[in-house]
Amino acid sequence: MLEVNSPIGNIFLDEGFDDLKSKNVERLVISRMELEKRILRRKTDRGTDIGLKLDPGIRLRHGDVIKNGDTKIVVEQLPEKVISVRLKTKNMDVMILLGHIIGNRHRPISIQKEEILFPIQADSEKEVFTKLFQSIINYIEMTVEEKIFSPHSGADIHEH
Amino acid sequence: MTHIPRIGIGGPVGSGKSMLIERLVPMLAEKGYSVSIISNDVISKEDADRIRDNLATKRGLLPENLVIGLATGGCPHTAIREDPSMNLAVIEEIESKHTELDLIIIESGGDNITTTFSPILADYSMYIIDVAGGDKYPRKGGLGIESCDLLVINKIDLAMMVGADLDIMRTDAKKIRNEKPFEFINCKTDEGVMKIAEHIIRDVLLDSVPKSAIAQKV
Repeated sequence: MLEVNSPIGNIFLDEGFDDLKSKNVERLVISRMELEKRILRRKTDRGTDIGLKLDPGIRLRHGDVIKNGDTKIVVEQLPEKVISVRLKTKNMDVMILLGHIIGNRHRPISIQKEEILFPIQADSEKEVFTKLFQSIINYIEMTVEEKIFSPHSGADIHEH
Repeated sequence: MTHIPRIGIGGPVGSGKSMLIERLVPMLAEKGYSVSIISNDVISKEDADRIRDNLATKRGLLPENLVIGLATGGCPHTAIREDPSMNLAVIEEIESKHTELDLIIIESGGDNITTTFSPILADYSMYIIDVAGGDKYPRKGGLGIESCDLLVINKIDLAMMVGADLDIMRTDAKKIRNEKPFEFINCKTDEGVMKIAEHIIRDVLLDSVPKSAIAQKV
């Protein structure tokens, strides 16, 4: 087992990893919820046995690079189903209600320009949220997409 | 401060969370692993008292003060997900005073199928259901059943009596969990429980040697 305590960088955020952006690189493919973990045991797509035991304060991100001797492994986050809500208005009441309804369902969010994204488990949840958003439905546009979801860190719980 | 690996056990009321702990801890202790248990409940501390009595007082497998009852006073999922501060405060104290521990087990108060543990609170989570809820249970899904690290299906000895088909549960669990593990167990006889211990040793403790064994060598 390869014990990993910290990544050495990120192919999207750091320089010097251009060679790892090709498709031939070894990958550790994991879900968003698994990315949030401190301890995790998984195999890469080439069978390397990885035991994550991350140092305090370290959390893996999509694109992080793990070193295994001379080999580098790239962490790849699985895409997941999300509802994307685009606002058709700048009305404050609508914005507050939208945030309140999503928050009431304990969903993490990601804010991108004028869109709010939040994860769902099944397409059927679009119907649920259509009902929940009924009072503001004319001011929003809702679509179900498959995306790599990175939650806004504002709702993170932290240890002291 | 030393981070002691933590596992969370969630599941509906009466599914066997406390019972699983009572069967699991002796197996881990037999292998030399030292464990502390935090048992959440809404109002009472009955589960913690029973676990302490069985595992600590009667069998001496761990000190009595390392079985802690936590009456959360509200929705059980809040105390393990949205605001786990009560549990984190207890863990902080355990970690500062008991560096000899290998593992902390956090039992949630009985809750619904959307129960998940905050990754800040638990490094690994199990969700336990039982066959008496019907063989439809795994395929109905829910965040707890789908996203936990290990799904545990308990009371398999009752399957015949309640008309639950274990093959259906197996097929549905495999499908809905997308190849993530699940195990059938019977806590009354220990059937399958060792496999749960093996998952913990492999996936949470990363096959590490018990701290007590290292201390003895030194």
